[in-house]
Amino acid sequence: MAGQSSGGAIYFAILGIVTAAFGLADLLVTASGSEFAYGGILEIPGDIFRGGWGGIIMLFAGLFYLSGIRNFDDIHQFAKVAMGSILIWVVAGCDIFAMITESIPSWEEETGPWFNTFPDFIATYAPPYAPAVLLLPFSLVVIYYIRKRASGEEGSGNSA
Amino acid sequence: MKLSTGERWDLIDKISKETVTFGAYKHTLKDAIGELTVKPMTGIPVAIAIMYGFWSVFGSFAGFFTDGFFVRLFDAYWLPWLQEVFPGQGGWIYAIMVDAGGIESGEFVLSSNCLESFGVLTSGLFVAIGVVLPAIIIFYLMLALLEDIGYMPRLAVLLDTVLHRVGLHGYAIVPTILSLGCNVPGVTATRILETKKQRFIMMTLLAIFIPCGAQIGIMQDVVPDLMGWILLYLIIGYFVFGYILNKIVPGKAPEFLIDVPPYRRPLLSNIGKKVGGRVKGFFVVAIPFVLLGCAIVGVLYQLGVIRFLGDALAPVFVGWFGVPKETAGPLIAAFLRKDLAVAQLSAITMTPYQMITAVVLVSIYFPCVATFAMMLKEGWKELLGALAVLSVVVFTYGGLIHLIGILLGVA
Amino acid sequence: MKILLMGHPNVGKSVFFNRLTGANVTESNYPGTTVDYTKGWMKIEGEDVEIVDVPGTFSLDPKDKAEEVAVAMLHESRDAKVIAVIDASKIERGLYLAMEIIEEGYPIVIALNMRDVAEDKNIVIDADRLERILGIPVVSTVAIAGEGIKELVSRLKEAKPVNVDDIIANAANTSDTESAADAGGAA
Repeated sequence: MAGQSSGGAIYFAILGIVTAAFGLADLLVTASGSEFAYGGILEIPGDIFRGGWGGIIMLFAGLFYLSGIRNFDDIHQFAKVAMGSILIWVVAGCDIFAMITESIPSWEEETGPWFNTFPDFIATYAPPYAPAVLLLPFSLVVIYYIRKRASGEEGSGNSA
Repeated sequence: MKLSTGERWDLIDKISKETVTFGAYKHTLKDAIGELTVKPMTGIPVAIAIMYGFWSVFGSFAGFFTDGFFVRLFDAYWLPWLQEVFPGQGGWIYAIMVDAGGIESGEFVLSSNCLESFGVLTSGLFVAIGVVLPAIIIFYLMLALLEDIGYMPRLAVLLDTVLHRVGLHGYAIVPTILSLGCNVPGVTATRILETKKQRFIMMTLLAIFIPCGAQIGIMQDVVPDLMGWILLYLIIGYFVFGYILNKIVPGKAPEFLIDVPPYRRPLLSNIGKKVGGRVKGFFVVAIPFVLLGCAIVGVLYQLGVIRFLGDALAPVFVGWFGVPKETAGPLIAAFLRKDLAVAQLSAITMTPYQMITAVVLVSIYFPCVATFAMMLKEGWKELLGALAVLSVVVFTYGGLIHLIGILLGVA
Repeated sequence: MKILLMGHPNVGKSVFFNRLTGANVTESNYPGTTVDYTKGWMKIEGEDVEIVDVPGTFSLDPKDKAEEVAVAMLHESRDAKVIAVIDASKIERGLYLAMEIIEEGYPIVIALNMRDVAEDKNIVIDADRLERILGIPVVSTVAIAGEGIKELVSRLKEAKPVNVDDIIANAANTSDTESAADAGGAA
């Protein structure tokens, strides 16, 4: 048990550092007024809303992770880790929802097809992605720990 | 027989000792997360994230329907078709119902889009269905989620300190947020505030500074780049005038006690019912008003009343507020529907800063007729008081915004 | 017949109302959702019954306008029965309001709502015993899931005014012997 949770702590420590770094990068890129892309997979948004506010939230998500890893087994500490993931889900969820709404209409001004062509539809979902979307799969690990915790509680509840 | 408070509690104590057993209370993850969302250090980031999510989804959803489909439907199909088939082009009925058009180098030309045409069947329907309907559907959906999960009371606790500065307390956030959907239920919700003073301050601030969902929807569509500034001016106004009102309105602003309910998984059926009911309410109340407002402004244009008013009030509009005198028309429409007024503003040529000022003016200048009626129902004295505050606010704040623009060199 | 749904804010009165009448009153998870009363109708054993969703109130001594509406509603409806909705996880405060209503002589039924929340908090309530002490029907419910609503409706006819002295006597007796409490409850 202790070994497993220290594994979790290390995992979320690394994730926390990466998340906070992405948040800072978001803010710096936005402040510089440019966009930043790397290796065809990462694209840091540069507008005030996604880069600025989104960046602040990513930074907070990282800090939530980092403040929660000490004494990871304590429910209040673990809640912070869970909250870090929830913040990432919010930002990533918004990005994905924006992608979906963008992919369907053709965005033509005048008469023409109403819906997007299939290749363009697919192309909307191709990388590069915003940092939150890239971190999304890694943040989902928290669900495993929530499950584990829940089953642990149930066990102790039954025995009581 | 009646017991005294003490006797009653004694009796209840006895009864509960007999019937209730409290097991060891263990914190669940839900409780722990609940606490995180209430403590300022952790709660404020969460609140920011929730607002971010709200706004982002709102923008994506509304943009999907409005810019993705409705703009085309109305501008490329509906408007040209109506312009073609509606009889009496150039006549006044045509102008009111379909297209007031414009005069270019001495010739009558038709409008190219539904925001410029000013017709009941074109602008009116486009604003009501093409822009505002998607906006309020997504707004109410998100609001219902936040309500049913149980986030609202936590936001109330979080903002308690700030809202005390303006003579209110945390719970004032509930009427405020409800007003962001529509001011009418917001005004009703002021009843949960304890004192007359609080209700008065709250109602006045709502009527003046809180734009409704319909208005936000149209602003997002026609002036998306200026949204931030417009909202900033409104929020600053909310707090500045709230602070002043707190100082001058007599009465008490007591502490508040609130039960923060546990987070709950929202029930889909309840969300559906709630959103459905509110959207239906919008259809019944708002759409007729949008169309009516369009018609009234159209008639007033035809009769030359708006030009007359614009000329007569030009010193105030141009000199004091720094906006074009044509703003007079939208301001009249604003009494019926603010969304319509913003749409009409967007068809007037002006600088971005003038647009900011004009939209803020439309927001603060007079509650729409439905809100007006609701405030009257809550008490005519309060309504008169609110209107008095409102006229002062419109003049000082409108002038102040103009002044800020001059100082920044943008007005 | 007229039935008032009364209780603290955010205990689920509107949920009961919607379940009972099939109406569409706004339900939310925050106190103060209902600020005005709403009336609806349902049929109980062939009889038309008027149900009123009353705004939440902490006591019969109103603190804000919504509570004033609630208390005025109670006092206007002298011949009404009351369903006192109590948050099972905060039973004492709920009983306080219920006692106030009992003292004013209204026939009353108690709905111990949100049993699920109470269970989450490891709070166990002996509803039968509570019923014997108070001498009125006490039903455990989870209104949002529809649990216990039927039982509540079927027991509405047992609602009757009770004498506070009886409750005091029952509360004292039951601490001595269980059987005495039984006898007291039956009397």
